[in-house]
Amino acid sequence: MTERSFEMIKTTKLTKKYGTKTAVDGLGLCVYEGELFSLLGVNGAGKTTTIRMLSCLSKPTSGEAFVGGYSVKEAPQEVKKIIGISTQDTAVAERLTVRENLRFMASLHYTDKAKIEERTDEMIQVFRFQEVENQLAKTLSGGWQRKLSIAMALIGDPKVLFLDEPTLGLDVLARRELWKMIERIKEHRTIILTTHYMEEAEALSDRIAILQNGRLKALGTLQEIEEKAGVKGLENAFVAIAGKEESL
Amino acid sequence: MKRALAFAGRNQKEILRDPLSYLFCLAFPLVMLVVMTVVNESIPKESGMTVFRIEKLAPGIAVFGQTFLMLFACLSVSRDRAGSFLVRLYATPARSGDFILGYQIPMLVLGAAQTAVLYAASYVVSLIVKTPLKPLGLFWSFLSLQLSGILFISFGLIFGTLFSEKAAPGLCSIIISLSSFLGCIWFDAESLGGIMLKICKALPFFYCTKIGRSALALSFTKEAFWLPLLIVASCALVFDLAAVLIFRSRMRADLA
Repeated sequence: MTERSFEMIKTTKLTKKYGTKTAVDGLGLCVYEGELFSLLGVNGAGKTTTIRMLSCLSKPTSGEAFVGGYSVKEAPQEVKKIIGISTQDTAVAERLTVRENLRFMASLHYTDKAKIEERTDEMIQVFRFQEVENQLAKTLSGGWQRKLSIAMALIGDPKVLFLDEPTLGLDVLARRELWKMIERIKEHRTIILTTHYMEEAEALSDRIAILQNGRLKALGTLQEIEEKAGVKGLENAFVAIAGKEESL
Repeated sequence: MKRALAFAGRNQKEILRDPLSYLFCLAFPLVMLVVMTVVNESIPKESGMTVFRIEKLAPGIAVFGQTFLMLFACLSVSRDRAGSFLVRLYATPARSGDFILGYQIPMLVLGAAQTAVLYAASYVVSLIVKTPLKPLGLFWSFLSLQLSGILFISFGLIFGTLFSEKAAPGLCSIIISLSSFLGCIWFDAESLGGIMLKICKALPFFYCTKIGRSALALSFTKEAFWLPLLIVASCALVFDLAAVLIFRSRMRADLA
């Protein structure tokens, strides 16, 4: 991240309730253009619900969120044109090859055939899919499937990319490989990452937000979070911040 | 429309690459066509039983095949809903109409291809048993059965949208059994009459088989063809609209 000129994502008192349960409670945050922003929290902290609201997959109960300047409530179609999402589950078409999956997703974003092929070829190059491009998605390993899922999210050249626990269930080598790939694609793009792996957030993030019971508990760079918690290392800081109320 | 066609292409490839599609949508109806023709050859002519004669069997088998289209339409939707695939597509610029058309188009194409193959095989069988079917009758029957195809596909989309990946195929199996029985594919309710005929006539399946058989016989009377055609067309329209509305409402609920 080089500049903090444009607020790519801005939420104000963003709230989501499911019946009597409040999943996200008055969330107010700002993510700048080109930033890799991590959302951390234990299960049920509200990370995925936040991502769902920001990607127009769930309507806020109250409050407001803007992505690229567009309101997720008032202009969801405009928001959808500038975002890409890779969900927690690897969502790929199993009986389509890698190339067909990419081409299919490209054709949901572009109408020009040449552009569809160009983006497909580009993703195959960027993600180094050459050796598996004609393989059915269901025959790929977990790591390759996850890479494909992220490539499918990127094919529309989104300004904002949501990665919901992209390395969940991957072995350490596949995870490190995916980190490298995320580093490669993060230039000129805003990335919102949710993860349970502290070292992942530490290695990749420009800024970090810690959520607990749907509320924002801490927000800042790694150094700022460590200072707030008064301990060294993100895992220690996370435990000090998120562990307070959890242990009560 | 281009997004709908892209989604339709994906769905068509997924179905065509599933070996079970060929087993249920083609192999099974073809086997039944041959088996029932053999059974018919064993039935004494004096028994007066005509339901397995090729001119009645072929449209019956075609409708039977269409019931499996329902199963695969249902599986396509319920599988996509069970995973995160549809969710990720909801976050693209594609709209609900693109998804519905994307499910319907490949099923209609596959349905037409299925009936064409079954009728081609029926024609060959009719030559073998020396009661050749009329090509013009086959053509009109093929066309009229596209309406019953829409009806069964709509059932599949409704079940796939409303029920889980595990429950939906089970419900389809009930409709397959009901429609093949009450659609008079395997017996002639009209010759039986009574309460059985009344039950059959109260459901659309009976009329699906009826229009196929009447068109094949080039019997275009009001009673034999036009009235049943109107019933099938009306049911196809109503259930197709219902499928669209239910899918849209479910999508809205998923995004609430």
